Amino acid sequence: MDMDLDVPMHDAIEDQQLGPTLDEDRETNSADNSAGSTNAGNVGQTPGSLEIDEVEDLHDPDFKPGSSGIADQKSAKPLELTNSTIDQLDKWIEYLSKCQVLSEEEVARLCKMAVDVLQFEENVQPINVPVTICGDVHGQFHDLIELFKIGGPCPDTNYLFMGDYVDRGYYSVETVSLLVAMKVRYPRRITILRGNHESRQITQVYGFYDECLRKYGSATVWKMFTDLFDYFPITALVDNKIFCLHGGLSPMVETVDQVRELNRIQEVPHEGPMCDLLWSDPDDRGGWGISPRGAGFTFGQDISEQFNHTNDLSLIARAHQLVMEGYAWSHQQNVVTIFSAPNYCYRCGNQAAIMEVDENHNRQFLQYEPSVRPGEPTVSRKTPDYFL
Amino acid sequence: MGDDIRRKLILKQLDQANLAAGDEGEEENDLGELPSIKSNSMGSQKQSPNGTVPAGNGDETTWKQFFDHNERIKIRNRNLEFNTYYSLPNSINAPSIPIFILHHGAGSSGLTFATLAQQISSQLNGNCGYFTFDARGHGTTRPLEPSKGLQYDRQSYIDDFVELLEQFYSKHLTQLGAVKLSLVLVGHSLGGSICTFSHMQLPEHLRNKVLGVFMLDIVEEAAILALKNVHSFLSKTPNVFQSYQDAIDWSIRRGMSKNRSSAEIAVPACFHQMTSGKVVRITNLRDFEPYWDTWFVGLSERFVSLPTSKLLLLAGNENLDKELIIGQMQGKYQLVVFQDSGHFIQEDTPVKTAITLIDFWRRNDSKNIVIKTNWGAKNFTSQ
Repeated sequence: MDMDLDVPMHDAIEDQQLGPTLDEDRETNSADNSAGSTNAGNVGQTPGSLEIDEVEDLHDPDFKPGSSGIADQKSAKPLELTNSTIDQLDKWIEYLSKCQVLSEEEVARLCKMAVDVLQFEENVQPINVPVTICGDVHGQFHDLIELFKIGGPCPDTNYLFMGDYVDRGYYSVETVSLLVAMKVRYPRRITILRGNHESRQITQVYGFYDECLRKYGSATVWKMFTDLFDYFPITALVDNKIFCLHGGLSPMVETVDQVRELNRIQEVPHEGPMCDLLWSDPDDRGGWGISPRGAGFTFGQDISEQFNHTNDLSLIARAHQLVMEGYAWSHQQNVVTIFSAPNYCYRCGNQAAIMEVDENHNRQFLQYEPSVRPGEPTVSRKTPDYFL
Repeated sequence: MGDDIRRKLILKQLDQANLAAGDEGEEENDLGELPSIKSNSMGSQKQSPNGTVPAGNGDETTWKQFFDHNERIKIRNRNLEFNTYYSLPNSINAPSIPIFILHHGAGSSGLTFATLAQQISSQLNGNCGYFTFDARGHGTTRPLEPSKGLQYDRQSYIDDFVELLEQFYSKHLTQLGAVKLSLVLVGHSLGGSICTFSHMQLPEHLRNKVLGVFMLDIVEEAAILALKNVHSFLSKTPNVFQSYQDAIDWSIRRGMSKNRSSAEIAVPACFHQMTSGKVVRITNLRDFEPYWDTWFVGLSERFVSLPTSKLLLLAGNENLDKELIIGQMQGKYQLVVFQDSGHFIQEDTPVKTAITLIDFWRRNDSKNIVIKTNWGAKNFTSQ
């Protein structure tokens, strides 16, 4: 495996040259069933193994990064809020807080503003204490509202979210719309990092794409948000002491400065440092390991200790893994995992947590259960007709 | 921004589904009553002289296009003569060579893997091996003494699998310089359950050679739910066709097969031809009913906790159960979804499945992988 290159995805795909092989599969498809020869997007959880669908998707102009047009007229300087945009944003936030979706045209305006905020953030976004650090949310909108009740409303409390806002839960659109609207309204009070689910490929399998189709009747909103995801920062550094990111460390990233050198404005690559930062997991075994997920690596305590020592850090805070208590220490408190989606997928029975870091760098975990609400969606899973 | 392709596609698929539903009326006359295995003279069915799948009139697809060998293996203590297929690596010069051990699901046969095996071999230029077989109650595997009767519980399938794997390994692989070989256990549906539960039962020298377990379209919760629908499913499934070709056509029309090349080898292997020329389904799934509750129970928990590399490849929608969701969200295994495939992934999308399998082997093969790092002078070894 060549880990040297952090290539943009379309380059990687051209290298693969999978097109001809794919066509064979199509030719063998029977004439009276075209399901296999379509553009349905057969996408995997893991970026590594399935370049194929992207070959299809990216050859289609509709699925090309940037096709939504939200970044066509980027500003040369950060967005400055006017009274009228503040009014507009406040109205949107109020509306979204009731779990109602914006119109397609409003999402377009919101995303264009967000590009002009996020494009000026750094790969390693600097943040000051106090801050409340949160993990995966995954479209569990009502639990996000519960999170703000537990942690305090934004902007009174500063927030850092470490990615995975969409997929699996039923309200990915509302969740990501609200967080992006808050980001544009209070850019220095809330930071939203990118998770491995903030990706065109992953969202086609795990629900966000389908939810956008269901709620808007087309993929336009999905295209706008996934184009916006390319601009999300990938890590944050709290007072130069706590390094925050979605996944974990990379064998190609020994220093925080090396993260600053990456080109992050792209789809999450299949491999390389940016992929690792969004996919890796800490492990009980020492050294680097192949990740069972099929992307990123596992890293041992020796690695975490060395990284923290090299970069003069006290802690790596990350999300990405479901932990039953909502948070979990590992590597002798060199690493903490935070997961903020209680009863994940409405069935896993886990607690959620957020971590408050105060002015004196004291840390406190706040745990919470799923929010109680009427009309909770029941998990109905359709039965396949296969069995064997 | 153009129209949404996928929405159009869904509409198109609905149209096709309606068309297929329209076909059902005329099919129903063909629903033949399938004799039970017990009353069926499975021990004395006509076989071609070399003991293979019926060769037909010559221009049909046969196993020879996909496998180098077809061998019947008698295992006295299991009261079975197994029909097996395999190909060995064409050389042992490569530093590492995968051997794929393929177990089909209920109602299918070893030839469900024919086109997949061909793809793996072509993508690896023959630097690989693979082995598959007809499980008890399937294909042309036969009891040695039909009067003794057979069990179809999971443990019986596991014992068969372990015994066959040991025999195949000692007879054909040890002489190849076993140090370079790694085994990948690949199971479709029920076969996935058998591969997963076999892992801990393999003798140590074999288990040490296993690089990973690869399951095709099986989720414990969904499978157990679906068992309740088996009867209604079977009542709509004809057991007798006028010819092999009719059986293939039906399978494609109903969307059971999405790939004609695969169906042409996999579907006939599930039927045997009568003197009249009609073909009759070999496996009567109703006979397995007393054993259904043994097949999938505990699968998700066991799969997630297996101490080896694991990949779950699903067709259609991601429909994980609780154990699998927690396992996935803790990073315990790799999940891949082919949204455009039907349940028989290995038949519907052999090219992509082969790419995924080979990638799984490459990625998890300690003989292949050195993790490159730019971290200082210190060398970290891969695990």
